[in-house]
Amino acid sequence: MVLVCDDEDSLRELIRAVLGDRFEFVEAKDGDEALEVLARRVPAVVVLDLMLPRTSGVDVLAAVRADPRLEGLPVVVVSAWSHLEREALDAGADRFVAKPFDPDELVAAVDDLVGR
Amino acid sequence: MRRWRSSSLTVRTTIASVTLGIVVAAVAVGLLSAVFAARAAAHREVRAQDLTSATLDVQGLVVDLETGLRGLAITGDTRFLEPWVKARAALPSHLQSFKRLAATEPRQASRARELAGLITAYIEDYSAPLVAIARDQPAAASTPVATAEGKRRIDAIRSRFTTILGQEQSLADRSAADADRQSRRAVIVAIVGLTALSAIVVLFAIYIARSIARPVRQVAGEAQRLAAGDVIVGLTEMGPGEVGELTRAFNSMARQLEARRRELEAQNEQLRDSEHAKSELVSIVSHELRTPLTSMLGFTSLLTRGDLDEEARQRYLEIIAGQGQRLATLLDDFLSVQQLEDGRLELRNDQVELAALLRQQTELYSAHSEAHEIALELEDASLPVVGDEGRLAQVVGNLLSNAIKYSPDGGRVTVVAEHVDGHVLVRVHDEGIGIPDKEQARVFTKFFRGDAAARGIAGSGLGLAFARAVVEAHGGRMDFTSAEGQGTTFEIELPDASAAQSPAQAGSERSNA
Repeated sequence: MVLVCDDEDSLRELIRAVLGDRFEFVEAKDGDEALEVLARRVPAVVVLDLMLPRTSGVDVLAAVRADPRLEGLPVVVVSAWSHLEREALDAGADRFVAKPFDPDELVAAVDDLVGR
Repeated sequence: MRRWRSSSLTVRTTIASVTLGIVVAAVAVGLLSAVFAARAAAHREVRAQDLTSATLDVQGLVVDLETGLRGLAITGDTRFLEPWVKARAALPSHLQSFKRLAATEPRQASRARELAGLITAYIEDYSAPLVAIARDQPAAASTPVATAEGKRRIDAIRSRFTTILGQEQSLADRSAADADRQSRRAVIVAIVGLTALSAIVVLFAIYIARSIARPVRQVAGEAQRLAAGDVIVGLTEMGPGEVGELTRAFNSMARQLEARRRELEAQNEQLRDSEHAKSELVSIVSHELRTPLTSMLGFTSLLTRGDLDEEARQRYLEIIAGQGQRLATLLDDFLSVQQLEDGRLELRNDQVELAALLRQQTELYSAHSEAHEIALELEDASLPVVGDEGRLAQVVGNLLSNAIKYSPDGGRVTVVAEHVDGHVLVRVHDEGIGIPDKEQARVFTKFFRGDAAARGIAGSGLGLAFARAVVEAHGGRMDFTSAEGQGTTFEIELPDASAAQSPAQAGSERSNA
């Protein structure tokens, strides 16, 4: 299962289309929704935007890394704010993909983390 | 007092110097007069001593006269007459110097003249004739009558001597006491005068220090603080004349510097703000461009691979078109605000029923969010204004969109519209996150979004700038009140078309204009 968290409808749809039908997708429109999903299920990978309403992506990332139940959960951060790459990686992101991204780049990052 | 305080330093130092000079002169005069008086007293004492010794000389000669005469009368031997002869020869010159010495004091002088007369008379009228007789018959010279006459004359002379000597003695005593007193006075005058001078010099130095050195030191201290960049409170304006002017000039200089500094700080602040706004603009624009671009490029890339069914192709193309439209709208908004601000945007002048417009917009936005309840309270079913319906709808739309976006936890949005003093007043109130005090001044600044981006609230930062520009172009006014964490109320005020004139006239006049 892949958790896609982005407040832009079209981007969630794009990420689903790019990653194809290999995964089951769960979508979250903001950080709170993402945390609700994570409370119930542990996905194979999280694709996370940083600028999210209510709880921000950075806070979601921090919550994930602080939760022992979610230890080792791969997180790919996708953000238009390329200058936040360092901050995202420091906060525990496994990969950082800057928007706009090449679909192959996102696929490679996810494949790299979850294995084919 | 005021005149004295402000009189020039030159005048003051001159006055002080002249005062000092006068005191020095007075002390010198006092000292000199005391010294001269002491000298005169000493001089009188010396003269008294001289006169006393001259008197004693004359007295000795008179004794010699008497002794010689008596010796001759008793013995008849002319050898005994020798002292008389010598004394008689010596007397005139002695008497002369005796009278000269006595001449300085009038009463003594007259006594001396009287005594000299008595002595001369004793010699001429008594002693010399008796000697002439005694040379022939000594017994005749010692008759009781002659002896008594001699004794009478000598007694008279003696009593004069006693008087003169006594007088001279007391005069000498007085002169000595006087000399003593005068020299003591000289010493006192010297001590008092020098003490007074020292005191005056010290007071003068203290005065100089207080009235000149202290203000100057104060100015120097403040100048150093000023140079070190401290804020200057201003000096107490003190000190006489030029020194007072110095502190005043320094204060006015410090005030000017302070004003310049404030100006520069304000300019710096503006520069920092505009610099900040510029960098914010860059990141907002890049974010606002990147999000639709990411969609467009991503879906285009998927489309070019070709392994898609017709339904997906159609769907992706629609998304690409939608995102392209979004970019076009962003650009359009930006240009609209720019044109509005430059006064180049053409607005329609139609009769607009604001009540209907508000109803449409609240219905539209009610559909956007399930978490928000939008309530419309119209005071009057008819709220006519004149203007551009499309733009006004955008304004109301922006306010409703903001009310929803900035209350992310949902809640009630209230829209109230009413007639107020010839205007239509519309208030859009939300119960959202509010606007922090420090951001309130910049709410209408283009591209300013505060920390909205960090909260993940979408937007370009153009909505409110656009809304206010539209409202003002309609002759209206836009404002807001807000408290952080408690929500925000935006209000717009537009001229009431029903109050001013008939709608038809208003519409035609404005479109003709």
